[in-house]
Amino acid sequence: MKVVLENLTKIFPSRTKGGKEVIAVNDFTFEIPDGKLIGLLGPSGCGKSTTLYMICGLQKPSSGKIFFGEDDVTELTPENRGVGLVFQNYALYPHMTVKQNILFPLQNLKGADKMSKDAMLERAYEAAKLVQIDELMDRKPSELSGGQQQRVAIARALVKMPRVLLLDEPLSNLDARLRLQTREEIKRIQQETGITTVFVTHDQEEAMSISDMIVVMKSGVVQQIGKPQDVYDSPLNLFVAKFLGTPPINVFNGKVENEKLLIGGNAVLDVKGVSDQEVFVGIRPEAFIIDKQGPLECKLLNVEVMGRDVSIVSSHEDSVNPIIRSIVDADNLKEVAQESVHFALKPHKVFIFNKDTEERIYVGNEKEKVEADK
Amino acid sequence: MVDSKQQWKAWLYLAPAIVLLLIFTVWPIINTVRISFLEGYNAMSAVNGAHFKFGFGNFKKVVEYRGFATCLKNTMLLCVLTVPISTFLALLIAVCLNSIKPLNRLLQTIYFLPYVTNSIAIGMVFAAMFKIVGFSVEGIEQSTSLGIVNNILAVFGAGPVNWMNQGSSYGANIAVMTIYIVWNALPFKILILLGGLQSVNKQYYDAAKVDGTSKVRVFFRITVPLLSPMIAYVVITGFIGGFKEYTSIIGLFGENMGPVGSGADKPLNTMVGFIYDSIELHQGRAGAAALILFGIILVVTLLNLYVSKKRVHY
Amino acid sequence: MANETMMEKDMQKVTAKQRVIRIISLVLVYAFLILMALIVLFPFYWMLNSSLKSLEEYRWSIPSLFPHKLRFVNYVTAFKAESLSVSLGQLFVNTAYVGIVSTILSLVVTVLSAFAFARLEFKGKNILFAGLLATMMIPGELFTITNYTTVYRFGWTNTFIVLIVPFLVSVFYIYLLRQNFLQIPNELYLAAKVDGTSDIKYLWKVMIPLSLPTLISITILKMMGAWNSYIWPRLVANDGAHSLITNGLRNAFTDTAGDIDYPVQMAAVALVSLPLFLVFIFLRKYIMKGVSRSGIKG
Repeated sequence: MKVVLENLTKIFPSRTKGGKEVIAVNDFTFEIPDGKLIGLLGPSGCGKSTTLYMICGLQKPSSGKIFFGEDDVTELTPENRGVGLVFQNYALYPHMTVKQNILFPLQNLKGADKMSKDAMLERAYEAAKLVQIDELMDRKPSELSGGQQQRVAIARALVKMPRVLLLDEPLSNLDARLRLQTREEIKRIQQETGITTVFVTHDQEEAMSISDMIVVMKSGVVQQIGKPQDVYDSPLNLFVAKFLGTPPINVFNGKVENEKLLIGGNAVLDVKGVSDQEVFVGIRPEAFIIDKQGPLECKLLNVEVMGRDVSIVSSHEDSVNPIIRSIVDADNLKEVAQESVHFALKPHKVFIFNKDTEERIYVGNEKEKVEADK
Repeated sequence: MVDSKQQWKAWLYLAPAIVLLLIFTVWPIINTVRISFLEGYNAMSAVNGAHFKFGFGNFKKVVEYRGFATCLKNTMLLCVLTVPISTFLALLIAVCLNSIKPLNRLLQTIYFLPYVTNSIAIGMVFAAMFKIVGFSVEGIEQSTSLGIVNNILAVFGAGPVNWMNQGSSYGANIAVMTIYIVWNALPFKILILLGGLQSVNKQYYDAAKVDGTSKVRVFFRITVPLLSPMIAYVVITGFIGGFKEYTSIIGLFGENMGPVGSGADKPLNTMVGFIYDSIELHQGRAGAAALILFGIILVVTLLNLYVSKKRVHY
Repeated sequence: MANETMMEKDMQKVTAKQRVIRIISLVLVYAFLILMALIVLFPFYWMLNSSLKSLEEYRWSIPSLFPHKLRFVNYVTAFKAESLSVSLGQLFVNTAYVGIVSTILSLVVTVLSAFAFARLEFKGKNILFAGLLATMMIPGELFTITNYTTVYRFGWTNTFIVLIVPFLVSVFYIYLLRQNFLQIPNELYLAAKVDGTSDIKYLWKVMIPLSLPTLISITILKMMGAWNSYIWPRLVANDGAHSLITNGLRNAFTDTAGDIDYPVQMAAVALVSLPLFLVFIFLRKYIMKGVSRSGIKG
């Protein structure tokens, strides 16, 4: 079931009289392809949860339309949309057993959809098996671990065989180890069931690792939509570039003169077709190559060896942040002097942004790098 | 998100409560205030179309009425006696209870028992304990029980006291009422104070122990200040309850609100008793008295709050 | 060296002294607590003791601490005792009827209003709620004065309605339950909405089970209220057929000549006290919890 959002907008009236209204989601248009796992990503307050709640039907859009397949569901109540929702804190009914929790949505079905007791039980066990909690059916939620509760919540959302599955910050209440495990689990369940799934998260790593596509949002406005790797490799603006990637991208104040990119007065890169102007330069940590002749000279602060990779912490007076973090090959380490370090840059990992609009105006491509190596 | 369907539903759910509250709570507030300013108002004549002058006549009548001074005096006296005694005793019991482990639950249950009683019924038991039976029968030889309280006093070489029989003194009557009311008021106060004590962080006590603070000092310098919000609470509710004292006296002395032979004077009547005595024929006067009572309770409560604001450590 | 041993000895002395003080204070604490417990219990003991005596034994100048001969017949006499032209037994039935009906109706009204205040959004919600809370400050007598004439006008005197309806809604219970409902996470409500659960079903299947302790507390407080009510029934339902137990109890043994059959009176008092005690024994936890939150008796 594909899900189409058409000019979706949500405006919350101000709480106080005469105060400003809040535009939580602004003119969101997007077609979610059938059977895909989509991550809505952004900092808190960016409107991602509001979007999710609008798809679910718990909140009504101020304007715009939502389609499931060809059906306009904008005016439908949640129960008539055929959606399953997993809450951040799972919202399991504390006084019911796992089985009763999973059965609960089925018992609400009316009319033609009404099921016999046996059929309901069979469905519940099917759902429980899918998330591997069929052993725990008679326990109460309080007797389960966080990860198990999460699975129960997913089973409860899936048991109605929803057309669309929605997950609100599904991993935020789990500890680090469980988080890794559970995100694989979500991916597996999604692939097994083939249900179009939308989940909300503020954790870019989580979104990047399992989504087929990600939607990056900021203050109600969609910044970029695309496959995780595409968005990472080719961010449309400084916000997206900064939001994706760990360690985060390093940002410098720079200048373009005669199609050369200057940082601290040194030409670090050729940039064809860019007019002379002040710019922000975004350099991914993996873009740095240690090179004695390299044009970018930084003050060395610290070298952290982390097995395969080495992280070099340095500083530069034109860096926006106090420290620059770069990840380099351990082999080149001997090139590092006591006080300073020289870098060459991989062109396709360097982005140039307009100083005012913060829109990206340049990214190198891999070919150039190969040419440069020659 | 306020949608009209939810609005409509909310009012539907609230409808029964609102209708009943309008008739039996909101209207009475308006009406009682109204009739208390209509001089000499009574419902019977009002139905027959009588008109009443607006003014303070009811209040004047209430204040000038001979019985009213008695009621006010009795109520005040009971408040002033029972609230400090019961609060102090409850505090002492709560602190002791909090310091022991064995028998704790059993004792807690016992101390709570007076709460689940009918104040008229147990009032009658107290009367039986204090009363001299067979005392007033003249000429005929009859065995006489002085009442168990006098019997116990006799063990210590005191008494017997005529607590509440015909000819008993006002002081003796007040003593009986005070004892009964305190007995009745203890459970609630112990429960609240014990709850407060249990929520006090044990670290304060450990810290005091490390410093070698004496128990008495711990009580006055740590326990009482930390418990002061609860103490303020039981004192305020104690005063409010004290001003509404009525049924426990009926339990002890019966509807004539005094020892046998005091007739229609009701020497032990209270403010609430005064209101109910006028309710059937002089609603205007009853309303005025109720407003006066409300005023007194309000003033005393505000006074309490003012004092506790200065003394209570949150 | 010598100094050190001196100090050690001092220390031992101190701890020994402290131990003695601790034991003495523990003994004193227990002595005080048990003495107070006996004083609290004494009236109950005296009630039972007296209720099983003959009137003659009751009047002994040196009272017996245990009845010579247990006269259970006093209880039968008490049950049959006439008051307000009906037997105390009939008044028991009246009281149970009024208590049960008013509790059930009160629970329904309270649950619905608390749900509206806790979960639904409507205009003027906060103002209305604050207004309701404000009425809690006003002494009940103020309401009673007007309600007395109101029920006369409705022609409700000497019916059960008059004992049930006027005090059906308690702002305090609504407040108590609303607080409890608010503690239930909103997500549960949204989850139920997604599953298509109706409000009523959600209320019945989720909110009521989750706030059962509060509902039990309310039930008990309401029942106790009916069992102990005295003033209102005396004013508006004093015909016997609709009177309640406390009125009958006080009237059955009115003190006139001083020649009351005290043992029978005490038996009646014990009978009236018994149901509350039974409820207390079984539901002690809920009662104490409810009371510590409620504040005001009955």
